[in-house]
Amino acid sequence: MPSWPTRSGLPPAGVITTLMITATILLWAAPRAEMDPLRLFRSLPSLLDFAGKILVMPEWEYLPRLGQKMAETVMITILATSIALAASIPLGILAARNTSPHPVVFHATRSLLSAVRALPELVWALVFVSAVGLGPLPGVMALALVTMGFMPKFFAESFEVVDPHPIEGVVAHGANWLQVRLYGYLPLAMPDCIGTTIYILDHNLRSAAILGIVGAGGIGYDMVMAVRLFDYDRLLLIALSIYFIVTLLDRASDRLRAKVT
Amino acid sequence: MTSSDNPIPPKPFNPAPAFIAVWFAVLWASCLGLDISFTDLLTGMDDMGEYLSRYGTPDFSDLSRYLELLAQTVAIAVCGTFLAITFSILLAPTAARNLTIGPLAYRAAREILNFMRAMPDLLLALVFVAALGLGPLPGVIALGIHTAGFLGKFFAECLERVDPGVIEAMEASGAGRTQTLMYAGWPSILREAAGYSLYIMDRNIRMATVLGLVGAGGIGLALHDTLRLFEYNEAAALIIVIFVTLLAFDYISSWIRKKIS
Amino acid sequence: MAKINMCGVRKTFGNGHTALKEMDTEFQTGTFTVILGPSGAGKSTLLRLVNGLEPLTSGEITVDGIPVRGKNLKKIRGDVGMIFQQFNLIGRLNVMTNVLVGRLWNRPWLTSVLYLFGREDRAIAEKVLMRVGLAEKAWERADRLSGGQQQRVGIARALAQEPRVILADEPVASLDPVTGDNIMQILREICDRDKITMIVNLHQVDLAKRYADRVIGLNAGEIVFDGTPKLLDSSILSHIYRRNSVVKETTPDALLAYA
Ligand SMILES: Nc1ncnc2c1ncn2[C@@H]1O[C@H](COP(=O)(O)OP(=O)(O)OP(=O)(O)O)[C@@H](O)[C@H]1O
Ligand SMILES: [Mg+2]
Repeated sequence: MPSWPTRSGLPPAGVITTLMITATILLWAAPRAEMDPLRLFRSLPSLLDFAGKILVMPEWEYLPRLGQKMAETVMITILATSIALAASIPLGILAARNTSPHPVVFHATRSLLSAVRALPELVWALVFVSAVGLGPLPGVMALALVTMGFMPKFFAESFEVVDPHPIEGVVAHGANWLQVRLYGYLPLAMPDCIGTTIYILDHNLRSAAILGIVGAGGIGYDMVMAVRLFDYDRLLLIALSIYFIVTLLDRASDRLRAKVT
Repeated sequence: MTSSDNPIPPKPFNPAPAFIAVWFAVLWASCLGLDISFTDLLTGMDDMGEYLSRYGTPDFSDLSRYLELLAQTVAIAVCGTFLAITFSILLAPTAARNLTIGPLAYRAAREILNFMRAMPDLLLALVFVAALGLGPLPGVIALGIHTAGFLGKFFAECLERVDPGVIEAMEASGAGRTQTLMYAGWPSILREAAGYSLYIMDRNIRMATVLGLVGAGGIGLALHDTLRLFEYNEAAALIIVIFVTLLAFDYISSWIRKKIS
Repeated sequence: MAKINMCGVRKTFGNGHTALKEMDTEFQTGTFTVILGPSGAGKSTLLRLVNGLEPLTSGEITVDGIPVRGKNLKKIRGDVGMIFQQFNLIGRLNVMTNVLVGRLWNRPWLTSVLYLFGREDRAIAEKVLMRVGLAEKAWERADRLSGGQQQRVGIARALAQEPRVILADEPVASLDPVTGDNIMQILREICDRDKITMIVNLHQVDLAKRYADRVIGLNAGEIVFDGTPKLLDSSILSHIYRRNSVVKETTPDALLAYA
């Protein structure tokens, strides 16, 4: 009889409990999500059929509009990220344990931030679209808002790991509260913060690509319409261009981040 | 020679102001390109107050239905995460330089992961809804594929950091590749991998709340419908339900992550 | 229990550096050979070639007549145990599992991937753990042990293979002198009792004198001394450790490899 290399010869208790919990959760979730291996298997032909439909000649006449929509997506990304960046430095200072003026402010800011980032940008986009109408504006607003929930938190975490010794040097020379933050913490955490910003820019581009689903600007709208109208030749082009631009930014941001940190 | 003989050398060129100027030019151009005018935005603020007041009295009369949809949302996220973990466990070793089968397999695995990561999950959901019909299953597959790209890349990077000496010791005692993976690979990265999987789980619950916008199940569709029918009170209730759930899961997952690291 | 034969063995790395040039020698069954030599002489390379961790450039190495290459590798690696300077244990797994890793080479694939081991494997692991005096640590995590204890687990892992050859690459370099001496005693005892062919790389001449049957001096990829440890005197030692020959033949590429 083979056995496991433990004192009792049974799998470790931790492994057994983890497996049992996982199995229970999956048994609860699978029927609710209609995850049925059989159905998955039976849908294979329709998937292949669909793949055949998608892999067609791209619709080249669509290219100019595609370029325009992709540019719009990029502009939404840049605008939203920049707006969030401007708000994130002060918010980040308030949200870091060591730079916050008071523990109460620290806890309040942290809670506020997690509240702001709780809802996905598409929910906000939906709300803003119904408030200000279709177009890129609600997209920028939604993306900027949710980014304002994430970015200051990352910045604050960078402030918290700043080496305290150089800070002491700044304090020792009589710098006031704001000066210590501007001439001590900020420059020391700068490489980290730039890395975070690039990472968020990367992430926001993916988000901006789907904002159009609810009519908040960018390529997303054309994507939905292409599927609704069975314009699969157009869909292929959209998917490829998203793949292309996301990969491009991904590689560039990997390289940039390696450089600054 | 005394130091006073040497004048201070000219200040080296500092690219920062130029960089900031270019950045602002891009922002300005983006505003123009997206047709966003800030004066309109400011005058629109008054209407915003009126608009928000429409959400004033959340209507929870349909709460039981919302909770059911919420359960489905969580189930979609659970199954999607499970799928993603399965995919990445299969793909990551081949995408890790030190445990891969060959250079060609390595590149192929990396490119597959890149592609999965680059495709936005809502685009995938859109496509799978078109192929498989409405329901949660397309959402599960979309989440699974997209996040497998993230998880797979992360697992591969963790595996690449495993002590090469340990891997060599496994090889030296005649262990095969899968054995090396099971003894030296996965056990060494278990903790990090679990933490990151939880993070992905959290992210997937967020995304699952909006999958309904493209007909891929979950609570998102209900929100979309209430807003389209101008039922702001129901929408407010839905938003509150989503908000509380996401906040709760955020706390739970960050608590668990703190525990295991 | 096994004889190793090296014939015209040559190793040139991808960067063009030749670490071993035309080596012909034999290691008799059950002898304890210590290899001495300056850093970069090629000692580690030699051991890694015997285990097939590096491919040969030319020549042939046989273990009991079986050439070290291709299809034979799994069998050879099962017959040849290896001990490392940095122990190379799997820190997160317990000591018993680490020792059982030595059994993997002849375990069925499926059960071994599920961490399942047969009764005989378990018995062997317990026996070798007792032999290195670590029975009571069997269920500890490997990274909780001291360096000397970890090296004893490393030895137990090699022994669990029931090997015919054990290769040890600077097994005591990370340990204090007393612990190091203790490890050498264990290795010597294994060699004597089980008639296992032992090849040990060392930087400590006194340990070589005390434990070896035979000493090989390696310098710049060539054997410059081969004899009993009694012959080791200061002139021979300075011959073994002489530096100029290494420097003279280093190409810029090789210098880079050093760095
Ligand atoms: N993978 C490799 N690629 C290129 N050159 C290598 C490689 N491994 C070893 N070398 C070179 O081969 C030579 C012999 O290396 P080896 O590790 O065998 O020396 P050593 O005698 O074990 O030294 P030490 O006592 O420092 O462990 C060195 O010059 C080294 O730089
Ligand atoms: Mg060496």
